[in-house]
Amino acid sequence: MNDATFRFTVHPSSGLPIYRQIMDQVRALVAGGRLAPGDLLPSVRQLAAELQVNMMTISKAYARLEGDGVIERVRGTGMRVRPPSARGSLADRRQQLRPLVEQAVIRARQLQLDDAEIIEVVQSVLNEPVLKEHQP
Amino acid sequence: MTSEAVVSAQGVCRRFGSKEVLRGVDLAVPRGSVVGLLGKNAAGKSTLIKCLLGLLRIDDGTIRVFNEEPWWLSAESKSRLGYVPQEVSLYGWMRVRQVVQYTAAFYPRWNAALAEKLVRQWELPPNDRVGPLSPGQLQKLAIVLALGHEPELLVLDEPVGTLDPVARRDFLRTILDIAQSETRTILFSTHITSDLERVADRVAILRDGRIVFHDELDVLKESVKRIRITAARDLPASFAVRGALRVEVSGRSALVAVADAGNGLIDELLATWNATVDVEDLSLEEIFLEMHHAG
Repeated sequence: MNDATFRFTVHPSSGLPIYRQIMDQVRALVAGGRLAPGDLLPSVRQLAAELQVNMMTISKAYARLEGDGVIERVRGTGMRVRPPSARGSLADRRQQLRPLVEQAVIRARQLQLDDAEIIEVVQSVLNEPVLKEHQP
Repeated sequence: MTSEAVVSAQGVCRRFGSKEVLRGVDLAVPRGSVVGLLGKNAAGKSTLIKCLLGLLRIDDGTIRVFNEEPWWLSAESKSRLGYVPQEVSLYGWMRVRQVVQYTAAFYPRWNAALAEKLVRQWELPPNDRVGPLSPGQLQKLAIVLALGHEPELLVLDEPVGTLDPVARRDFLRTILDIAQSETRTILFSTHITSDLERVADRVAILRDGRIVFHDELDVLKESVKRIRITAARDLPASFAVRGALRVEVSGRSALVAVADAGNGLIDELLATWNATVDVEDLSLEEIFLEMHHAG
């Protein structure tokens, strides 16, 4: 069994459809670097069995993620995480980042950090070796 | 999904004396789907199921199961069908093992290994008599009997009502195994929405003798929303939202449940009321409750 299987959880009674929960989790795992480009996702059957949900739910999540360019289908192998693509104009890409930054800033304010302190944290994250080497 | 329907009903009516239980039911169950039939107590779920299976005659409308009229269903079609009634009645003097053998004899294709596996998995005592079994054990046994011939269409009336949480999970796992096959269709009634959310890909909601909603579960969850509206000033008495299931106004704010939050509704609200709008996702249970508010 693919060990990525155990990284997913679903809450069937949440208002969010289960396929959306799975899509969000794949995106989060990719964004957090815990699923790297080239990593395989668990098969539809495996994940459906593990989470005890309908297989169609998993297929739907994978198909949408494929459509969004997050993963790709490799014949005979399964679904693979794609390298992140920088599509769209610079303005678009900045716009995509904005909500994530907003969330971080809101949290920072709750933690009573001032602007300089927030920027310092951002700077130190940017300087982390793993992230540094991916600089365009 | 427009694939061929295994079960279809049009304008189905059924009354008991002066009581109209089904008042024009339209429903098409596509092949390969898992449909959860949801409704309050006494909504007519069991009546509908019995009509679909030809166990009750209908007063009006048409029903087709495997393209046949269910009242006159052929033996061949019956052998492709499995049914677990809400109230299980079996010969009490038979032993569990005997009931399984007795049922197997009715079917040309009976998967004895599968039946045996389920009996073991669900810890049914094969040498005990059926009479003293608990309601939960009886229900498990009825499910085994309905699954043994690997029916193409499985119909279950409140299958999990008497099952404990462990048995319910086992049951759901079994249903999911069956659902993996694209040619097998499952229709089950329930009022336990959390089970339905795991296994069903479609939901049909029966209310006041009619199907008021039938579509994919995800479509339902994506369209029915609760919206919180806060306007700059007090909302007028004429405040209304199209497609609202429920509206509660209090001063500048309103809480509205809508049947379809798509179609630019949110933008429309923002523009019309100069308001901030929060959209809340709802669980199936909440959706069910909201749908029963109106009217």
